[in-house]
Amino acid sequence: MSEELSVVGKRIIQPDAAAKATGAAMYASDMKMPGMLIGKVLRSPYPHARIKKINKSKAEKLLGVETIITPEDVAQWQGFDRGLKDLPMVAGGYLVPPEEHVLNERARHFGDAIAAVAAINEHVAEEALELIEVEYEQLPFVIDPEEAMKPGAPQISESAPGNIGKRMSYPFTEGDVEKAFGEADCVVEGKFSTTKQAHCTGETAAAVASLDSSGKLKVWSQCQLPHLGRREIAHIFNMPVGMVELINPFVGGSFGQKLSICAEPICIALTLKTGRPVKLVHCREEDFTSLETRAAFRYDVKMGFKQGGALAAMQIYMIGYAGGYLARAPMASAIAMVYGLGHYRCPNRAGEADIVITNTAMGGAFRGFGNPAIMWGIEQLVDEAAEKLGIDPLEIRLKNIKKAGEIANMGLTLESSYLEECIKGGAKAIGWTEKRGKKKEGKLRRGVGMATMTHSSGAAPLYLEHSNAFIKFNEDGSANLVVHPGSPGTHIWGTLSQIAAEELGIRAEDIHIVTGDTDVTMFETGSHASRSTYTIGNAVLRAAREAKGQLLERATKILGVSFDELEIKDRQVYVKAKPEKAVSVAEVVRGSIYNFEGECLNISGKCSWESKFNSPPTGAFFAEVEVNVKTGRVKVVKFVTAIDCGKAINPMTVEGQLEGSMQQGIGYSLTEDYVINKDSGVVESDNYDNYKMPGILDMPEAEVIIIDKPDPKGPFGAKGVGEPGMVGVAPAIANAIYDAIGVRIEDLPITPERILKALEEGNQ
Amino acid sequence: MARLLKPFEYFEPGTVAEARKLLSAYGDEAKVFAGGTDLLISMKKRQMTPKYIICIKNIPDLDYIQYSQEAGLLKIGALATHSAIAASPIIRNKFELLATASHKVGTPQVRNMGTIGGNICEAGPSQDTTPALLALDAKLKVIGLNSERIVPISQFFIAPFQTALGKTELLTEIQIPALPPKSAGCYKWFTKTVTVDETLVGVAVTMSLNSIDGICSDIKIGLCSVAPTPIRARRAEEVLQGKKIDSGLIEEAAQAAADETRPRSRPDYRRSMTRVLVAEAINEAWQKIEQAHLREAA
Amino acid sequence: MKQIANFIVNGKPYEMAIEPHMLLVEVLRDELGLTGTKCSCGIGHCGACTVLIDGIPALSCLTLASTARGKNITTIEGLAEGITLHPIQKAFIDYGAIQCGYCTPGMILSAKALLDRNPSPTREQVKQALSGNLCRCTGYVKIVDAVMAAAETMKKGGK
Repeated sequence: MSEELSVVGKRIIQPDAAAKATGAAMYASDMKMPGMLIGKVLRSPYPHARIKKINKSKAEKLLGVETIITPEDVAQWQGFDRGLKDLPMVAGGYLVPPEEHVLNERARHFGDAIAAVAAINEHVAEEALELIEVEYEQLPFVIDPEEAMKPGAPQISESAPGNIGKRMSYPFTEGDVEKAFGEADCVVEGKFSTTKQAHCTGETAAAVASLDSSGKLKVWSQCQLPHLGRREIAHIFNMPVGMVELINPFVGGSFGQKLSICAEPICIALTLKTGRPVKLVHCREEDFTSLETRAAFRYDVKMGFKQGGALAAMQIYMIGYAGGYLARAPMASAIAMVYGLGHYRCPNRAGEADIVITNTAMGGAFRGFGNPAIMWGIEQLVDEAAEKLGIDPLEIRLKNIKKAGEIANMGLTLESSYLEECIKGGAKAIGWTEKRGKKKEGKLRRGVGMATMTHSSGAAPLYLEHSNAFIKFNEDGSANLVVHPGSPGTHIWGTLSQIAAEELGIRAEDIHIVTGDTDVTMFETGSHASRSTYTIGNAVLRAAREAKGQLLERATKILGVSFDELEIKDRQVYVKAKPEKAVSVAEVVRGSIYNFEGECLNISGKCSWESKFNSPPTGAFFAEVEVNVKTGRVKVVKFVTAIDCGKAINPMTVEGQLEGSMQQGIGYSLTEDYVINKDSGVVESDNYDNYKMPGILDMPEAEVIIIDKPDPKGPFGAKGVGEPGMVGVAPAIANAIYDAIGVRIEDLPITPERILKALEEGNQ
Repeated sequence: MARLLKPFEYFEPGTVAEARKLLSAYGDEAKVFAGGTDLLISMKKRQMTPKYIICIKNIPDLDYIQYSQEAGLLKIGALATHSAIAASPIIRNKFELLATASHKVGTPQVRNMGTIGGNICEAGPSQDTTPALLALDAKLKVIGLNSERIVPISQFFIAPFQTALGKTELLTEIQIPALPPKSAGCYKWFTKTVTVDETLVGVAVTMSLNSIDGICSDIKIGLCSVAPTPIRARRAEEVLQGKKIDSGLIEEAAQAAADETRPRSRPDYRRSMTRVLVAEAINEAWQKIEQAHLREAA
Repeated sequence: MKQIANFIVNGKPYEMAIEPHMLLVEVLRDELGLTGTKCSCGIGHCGACTVLIDGIPALSCLTLASTARGKNITTIEGLAEGITLHPIQKAFIDYGAIQCGYCTPGMILSAKALLDRNPSPTREQVKQALSGNLCRCTGYVKIVDAVMAAAETMKKGGK
């Protein structure tokens, strides 16, 4: 990899950008087909209720209504669990049997799906919903997880006595934490809480389903894990997998919300009932109240340090809020513990988590999964320890971060780490030495703070990592790359094109992405856990290598030299020792397809790839804040993210991921509060008038530093970068606030009232 | 949870006279539609489902902004948009706080669509233009089928989303008297959370100093989002009225204003922020008068 | 009751039967098949439904279709000339300002309205003009870069 790269590392434009810039890009919510009906869902207005009676007769009589379905109409189909139960490599998946149904007889949260209608247009569908008469038996409910754990609390799941959906222990427990705490020179501990952050994807949940005349089900889906989504659909609807085709149109954002199917089950149910295509699109309120949010936690962290700053012991206890269905909350907690306890070098580590069922919508996956939540507390405690020990926060991190070759968070070797460079580069960019620890006075006080993190590139060895890629050449020397990462808009198609093009010696624009249809693409785990560049990229690289091999083999005959004498660059196969002796890639391909010597071949390559390693990306985050001590308002003045994601296949893409993560991280820290009324169980955060994510005027001066040093296992040295940018934003801001005004905030979000209260308490 | 509207009967009068007739006929069950931003949201949320919509949006010549130097009076047609008011040179020059408040409303798109008349008649507790209009002592021209009356803005707001406008009446014009010489005003606010957001506390101040001895000859303080309706902080005004301004008095006035608030949610924080902002607003107005005076003297 | 209404969208006249309670966003997307205009929140807070009415940015999800009769409506589909992209579209592509693309049409139209009225905006003015358009993917940074770059291109008379 020492030669100069032609395509990898370049700021190449995305192949799908023009379609999006012109409005031509078709999303599921845009689709229209002959005979298509519009589906709409009736949702529970209560947090916990049983349906006593549904009268759909009035609604059915409305002109234009094709069908109304209720829980009894979907009883022949299977229940499902969104826990990605097909993926865990280790035993102990999900003991709770699938409890969510296409429509639920007992609503477990405000917004749970009760009934649905398919009608000729959206107006009729909305009107029909209002005509469905439901008699509910309201049941006792519980919103707060600690209340849910108390004896006598309403029981929500038959499989979760005491509302404990799952009890988990940290899988990499090591040493003896009690002994180590006893011997530590400095022990810090804290109680922290985080929120159910809503994804706020541009496009709301949407799906289109249709049946063809052979009984094959086609589903246009936003699912990020398309082949798993297909399997889930087949399972739910008692169909063979081969009779389900899942197609991804363009998707208006996901960030982890669409790991499993969302609008699809009810949409498909309506199609199966009517025999007609159905489109079902959520309104924004449905997204807020019925879909998965980030899992929220309350947790205790304890850390013990030696005098010089070496970390000696770490212990965590977490309460994870699952919601009415267990879904992905256990995964979020597992990842929180694994990444939190596995970031620093620490010989004594232990952790426990209780995942609690409550009457709310699911808590689960959102960019970073459990990592942003756990680093919120850990990185604040590290700063606290640094202060107690009289060590600079930078130094205490440098002392404890792992080096390449050590065992990383997921139990595999840390293939590469340039976290030290991240810390030093970021510190310089924010002006750490000039600004940190300075005397503050006046109404407006500034401070700087930092945080670090390790994430992962894919989920090996804890979850299945299986990707496939297929490349075939066209006669013009271009190549079709068949992959299926999903289409949420992360620039992965461009990244994979660059990897393929680099290996094949052609241009990025010569790669045509063929994607989005499970009938065409081979199995793909999909996009999650920051795996697509790293794992799908490795599959693509090897598929390209195989295709390149075939191409060179054919070229040996044309140029009359041996295999090792050849190379490909700029769409020419040339003799290394004599570059002017060359033949175009196009000519080689054409000559193999139209081969009159009895050796026809369409040059291609494929790879079934399983990631046996994990190269975790690392990063350092630096915030400069300004706090108004009279109003408690916090302004993030500047934010620097320094990332070690290996070789940046496309720096523009990497920057985009980190800048987007900054917006989400600032929202998580300061502005986004998902509010559920504890007395009524009603979700009060149901649209952008009462749930605020950062707008363009709320963003700080943003700087991204890409260390850009290659990892030995990543394709062209790349590591994952989809999630890391989110992980350290909140603790960096919290630590900067401490530098500015000397108070710690342990609960998200950081509100002006919390700041003023902390200042007041600090003054007493 | 709905994205579309329920059906209604729709009228689009081409003149004020037509509008008057329609209102008189259907007023009880009709809603007047101008920019429509607030109304349509309420209808989408099914908070209201009017049987009739009377759209006055396209009535010509109701969006004027006219200032008469001789009369010392600004007249704004009810259909003037927030964008137009925020950009109007005469308003920026002579009634700056109204331009500031209009610029704060919503987003650029909402400002292009929303009208000052619509804003006033919506009478939401947190709307930005109303405290500025209160501080400017605006008067509202309200017409019925055969009637016309002038209502001082301080008498217009009765309860949240409830005004003195009769069901068959139409607001057509906002009249604002020019401020005397040695006057200044400003509008300051905090939002609830992010920058583009509903106002948490909004403070509008107009202040006039007696040109001879620098005594405060008049002060008006309009507040929004701290009570069921937008209010004048009259007790705070009394602290400064007729007195020589100093920082101690400003603090006293700010505290008085905070005590006059009746916030429903986040009450403690709203009260504290009222105190902070009223002090800042009075100081800013005071500074503006002093600086203008220095410029004149130079 | 349906009534015949005339619309001018991207310079072309259309006649159709609409009901008074139809929103402009419905007419554009469902009747005219111009699905580039998106509906994301339905209450006018996100700007994804932004179109230009007589050159001025407005929220099509909060506009009664009837009130837009006879006005010049510009949607994202009206920017390119054939296959030649508008400089703002090209800049969004070149500067990586598009990820999922859902906010993109609204953003580009708000930007167009700005540059048509102020050809040399500062970064702050760009942000003010786009302050009614929410984006969850990009963090806005490259969007501002793209608009500033497009301004330069347009000033030079570029395409």
